[in-house]
Amino acid sequence: MTNTLSAFPLALALRGDRTQRPLRDDRRAQQLHDQLHQLLARSPYQPSAPLILRSSSLRAQTPSFESSELGRLRGVLVTTALRLLVNGVHLDDSFADVHEAWLSTQAAGPLRQSFELLNDDQRARLAADIRSHVSVLREHLGAIPSSWRPRTVVRTRLLLGGGALELRDEVDLVVGSPFEDVAALALLDVTTAPLGENAERVLRYHALVQTLRSGVVPLRSCLFSTATTDLWSRDVDDELLQRALADVASVLQGSEAA
Amino acid sequence: MSELWLRRSTPSDLELLPARTTPILLSDEQRRSFSERMRQIPTTSPRRLDAWGVERGGRPDLPFTWTATTARRIIGTRAAQRHNSSRESILEAVRDEIADQLIIASSGRSRSGSLAHWLANASHPSLGLITAEAVNWATQLLEASTLFGDSTHLCRSDAYYNISGASTTLRGRRDLLLPSTEGRVVVRVRSGAPGPSAGAGLRTDLFIDALAHPEGEAAQQFIGLWPDAGLLLLVEGTVENLRAGARSLLRGAVVQRRRELAPVA
Repeated sequence: MTNTLSAFPLALALRGDRTQRPLRDDRRAQQLHDQLHQLLARSPYQPSAPLILRSSSLRAQTPSFESSELGRLRGVLVTTALRLLVNGVHLDDSFADVHEAWLSTQAAGPLRQSFELLNDDQRARLAADIRSHVSVLREHLGAIPSSWRPRTVVRTRLLLGGGALELRDEVDLVVGSPFEDVAALALLDVTTAPLGENAERVLRYHALVQTLRSGVVPLRSCLFSTATTDLWSRDVDDELLQRALADVASVLQGSEAA
Repeated sequence: MSELWLRRSTPSDLELLPARTTPILLSDEQRRSFSERMRQIPTTSPRRLDAWGVERGGRPDLPFTWTATTARRIIGTRAAQRHNSSRESILEAVRDEIADQLIIASSGRSRSGSLAHWLANASHPSLGLITAEAVNWATQLLEASTLFGDSTHLCRSDAYYNISGASTTLRGRRDLLLPSTEGRVVVRVRSGAPGPSAGAGLRTDLFIDALAHPEGEAAQQFIGLWPDAGLLLLVEGTVENLRAGARSLLRGAVVQRRRELAPVA
């Protein structure tokens, strides 16, 4: 499952060999919906407001490398770079261009405020960091053809159990269509942190949410670290989806206990 | 009030939607009566009403500004149409749409505040991000079109209806059209997840679409599709739903009027 990328592009890892893909599975989503509803029905937890789950909810409670403000800024800027690269935008200066693109979409918000509070040294460090992460991304991404229908920063908001539970997610890159005869949707999340023990939960969560959203089981779910060039890639099967459900169940139980 | 159908947006769930009924026609008398009631609610400035305003309960929106997100629907929809007619790739179609806007701006035909004017002043990296958003929208629209079947068309424009003597323009958003020999179904693609007033918004769009139709023919069904939530909501083109849409618009105009009259703090 774990690859350290050397020469082959990420794009190839995402789609793989078409002849090896399983047939499109559009029945599993209904089963998963039913299981989630049973899970919610069994739960004594009756929230006054919807319980919102994100991939970050599945991470350990201890602060991680990417949870600092600087880490979040780095993550957002690298995701912006991914969006530009996937859409064939040439970056002259990877920090200046990415920063300018990000600012153009940011109204006043906490992240922008954090950026403006950085002193010159911190900004210089962030710029160097971004240049290095973007250079890794550019080196390994490869060309994503438009015929693969790439979408960047794909957000999901699934309301379940009459609105008692909301599954939110954001996948950096989704390629493929849910309407092909074979499984074709591939999900890629890019992180600037090394892949830790929680990364696999994130992979599973993306796969579960995408299955519920599109009604079709994705082909694979991948996570790429621009810090270490590790690529974790999992073909989505029933076992993976059941484990994702178990992850959600354990978070629900945690909420009940709290 | 007639039912609001909530379904997941998958091909198998679409089969569970209600059958299409005979379309209702808005008579000239009904149009006149609605326009007359709208004229009775005075306004000091040109009034623009749409489903979004109804869903927000008439609360004032932030002043409009162009951003990659607000521009994506216009650029992305035109790009999807270009993709369908020329078989250009989606990315090429989006780039060509942006290029067309830049040509309009450089020829001096764009006015300040227009999309072309804004794009002409955007930097190269910002244009990249605008491209990314428009590609997302166009892809989403084409996938929605595939979901509803081969006969689906992309709408060329939204529905507009001017009420003379009331300084009022109604705007109904629409993205996809599913025509048949007996009538049509209209689909609106939305971001995020449906809120509690989504049904009121759909009925408003249904009514504006019927007003804008040359013969006053209401859509047989009006569907709101929320791809981010994997859901769709459907209202049927019944008299009750058309009336509800009309009432929401009148209420929206009254709220706007009260706000105009409220003393400034």
